[in-house]
Amino acid sequence: MLITSRSRYLYFILLLIINKAVLATPVVEIIIKEHLFYPSQVEIPSDTKVKLVIHNQDTTAEEFESFELNREKVIPAGVKGVIFIGPLPAGEYPFFGEFFPNTARGQIIAK
Amino acid sequence: MLINSVIIILREVLEAALIISIFLALSQTIQLSKHWLIIGSLLGAIGAIFYAVNIQIISMAWGGIGQEIVNASLHFLNYLGIISFIILFRNDNTKYISSIIAICIALAFTREGSEILIYIDGLISLPAMRSPVLLGGFIGMGIGFSVGVFCYYFIVNLSARRGLKIALFLLVLISCGMILQVTQLLLQADIINSQQALWNSSAFISEQSVLGQLLYALIGYEATPTPIQVYSYLFSLLLMTFLVVKTASHLKEREQI
Repeated sequence: MLITSRSRYLYFILLLIINKAVLATPVVEIIIKEHLFYPSQVEIPSDTKVKLVIHNQDTTAEEFESFELNREKVIPAGVKGVIFIGPLPAGEYPFFGEFFPNTARGQIIAK
Repeated sequence: MLINSVIIILREVLEAALIISIFLALSQTIQLSKHWLIIGSLLGAIGAIFYAVNIQIISMAWGGIGQEIVNASLHFLNYLGIISFIILFRNDNTKYISSIIAICIALAFTREGSEILIYIDGLISLPAMRSPVLLGGFIGMGIGFSVGVFCYYFIVNLSARRGLKIALFLLVLISCGMILQVTQLLLQADIINSQQALWNSSAFISEQSVLGQLLYALIGYEATPTPIQVYSYLFSLLLMTFLVVKTASHLKEREQI
């Protein structure tokens, strides 16, 4: 009796862990280097929340901005900034670096 | 690069200039001393420098969402400040009113000023950028300042009652825009669970257009708002309108006595 209840408990915990792993928000890393985004085309699943980790490797701050995504955030030099986006309907969502808009351009593609 | 600097600086200055000019006009209308401008600006300048200097630490705090938490708090405190101002406006307690305005100005300065400092500090380290960024910054500041001056004289030149009404109305819009910003930042940081946008009006008024930018500064315009943003906006709009109407009717009663 005791063993079954304990194994049931363990089973439940295991299920929670698996669930958590499966349902965890996908993470996408983008690097800013010499005022360019790498990669500049980012594919993400549609209708899913995604965590963008933007790593600015330049010595100057950059501002990640996207009117289509409704996102705006300063990424200081050498910092990894986190921005959550979505769930987004399938489509293309351009983004740019507001401080260096001539070079820092990219696109999120939700599929 | 020049145009880009103008736009970036203008956007930040515009938000602060609008709120300052409205408070200045209101002070003029009710003959309140404008000392708060000096205290608020000084505190705000200190706040902006502190924020800009510590931006790396703040950005990495709370697992990378420190900026959102700090900015949302600044916006929310500013919103509370405006609410308190409207409630206190009924009374003649000028000392409290002045302090509240000074706090609102300091909060706005901290938020907008820190972004300007981060931008200029980063770009002037690149020799090729130095002069366009500084020149663009001055032009942007000049335009933003002019809009503020225009707004001030526009309100002050109306009859006292009408000016009061319009100034309070503009304050309501600005404060609701702040609440919109708070929800936006909490969504971005995943503190509030995000949803799909309720509508998309970008074909009608693009956020990138001049009108879109102006509306953004004034009412926090978003082309693709999520349901929670729309509801919180409407809630704060109702609350603020209720408070303003109450204040206005109170002032009217007092005038009649």
